Amino acid sequence: MAAAPFPAPSPPSTSASGSRPWRRRGGRRRPGFGSLFGTAAPRARPRSTGNVQRRLPRPARPGGFQPPPAESPVPSQRLVAKTSLSSPPWPEVKLPDPLEEAKYHAEVVQKVNEMIATGQYGRLFAVVHFASKQWKVTSEDLIMMDNVLEAECGDRIRMEKVLLVGADDFTLIGRPLLGKDLVRVEATVIEKTESWPKINMRFWKRHNYQRKKIIRNPQAVLRINTIDIFPSLS
Amino acid sequence: MVLLSAPRWLRNRLTDRFWRVQEVLKYARHFRGRKNRCYKLAVRSVRRAFVKSTKARREKKRFLRALWITRIEAASLEHGLKYPAFISNLLKSQVELNRKMIADLAIYEPKTFKSLAALAQRRRQEGFLAALGDGKEPEGIFSRIVHHY
Repeated sequence: MAAAPFPAPSPPSTSASGSRPWRRRGGRRRPGFGSLFGTAAPRARPRSTGNVQRRLPRPARPGGFQPPPAESPVPSQRLVAKTSLSSPPWPEVKLPDPLEEAKYHAEVVQKVNEMIATGQYGRLFAVVHFASKQWKVTSEDLIMMDNVLEAECGDRIRMEKVLLVGADDFTLIGRPLLGKDLVRVEATVIEKTESWPKINMRFWKRHNYQRKKIIRNPQAVLRINTIDIFPSLS
Repeated sequence: MVLLSAPRWLRNRLTDRFWRVQEVLKYARHFRGRKNRCYKLAVRSVRRAFVKSTKARREKKRFLRALWITRIEAASLEHGLKYPAFISNLLKSQVELNRKMIADLAIYEPKTFKSLAALAQRRRQEGFLAALGDGKEPEGIFSRIVHHY
């Protein structure tokens, strides 16, 4: 017996004059024409046969069906029927044991430290935040920034905002930045020029309006010399 | 003897018409049809080309961002995470890589991208556990006793 959604009201089976006393069982009889043509047999209304449990509908209880509490209801031991709201919509999550995890993390950190100290990495790449842009950078590659740099040509520059450093076997992800004692990215300024003349044009048709402007942005080219990492992980 | 008015055979005539026309035609040389040769048609086409390139420079940023997002979505689905879950959990773990970088890492550094996906997944699970809380029933609101002192 489940508390179903409110069923359609069924007439009470007690007596014919339950809720609507003016309605009587046995079909309707209209005086008038019937007496002229003689009374025909009353039309049989289809009645449901079989076991129909006619009960007054119960008000639905919120929260689904819950059996009466047997013992003291401890939340973890209570049995709850499976409805759309009885469990969260995401699959159940089990995190690994924190102690074991801490041991594993310490092992990994120590291994990576060893690898860095002994120099067992090939080419390093770094993600550097420079000139309001992020660049993925290795040694010996060129970078062109579209703005002014306050350094002369030939100056050696250290880029301090490093977000990520990686090699073939390990990656160091900064949250959000890596420490300055961990990574060192050095670059040299190669040339400072202007960009090619870009044309900005505005034109409204039928209004005799056009404006043409030639824009030359200052640019600077850097060459990344080295990326170094030091074994100072903890 | 100073002549105060110029004689009739002296006129101001345009001498560098050729170069003025070439200034416009040089931008139209790679166009299709007569508008790469005839000045009158070329002027209109070149003007439209300049205006379109100006507007496109602003739309290129939107277009590239959509492209990066598509690439990151594809790569994170390979690791079993959807794009919103991936990005939101990375930001919650204070990793501030932008979409251009993550897309480049997904293409050129697959192992790094895999570790980023694992980080996001772990942060997501911790978030689920934190959302469930202690598992106790919350204290009631109407059954609370209000103290008036």
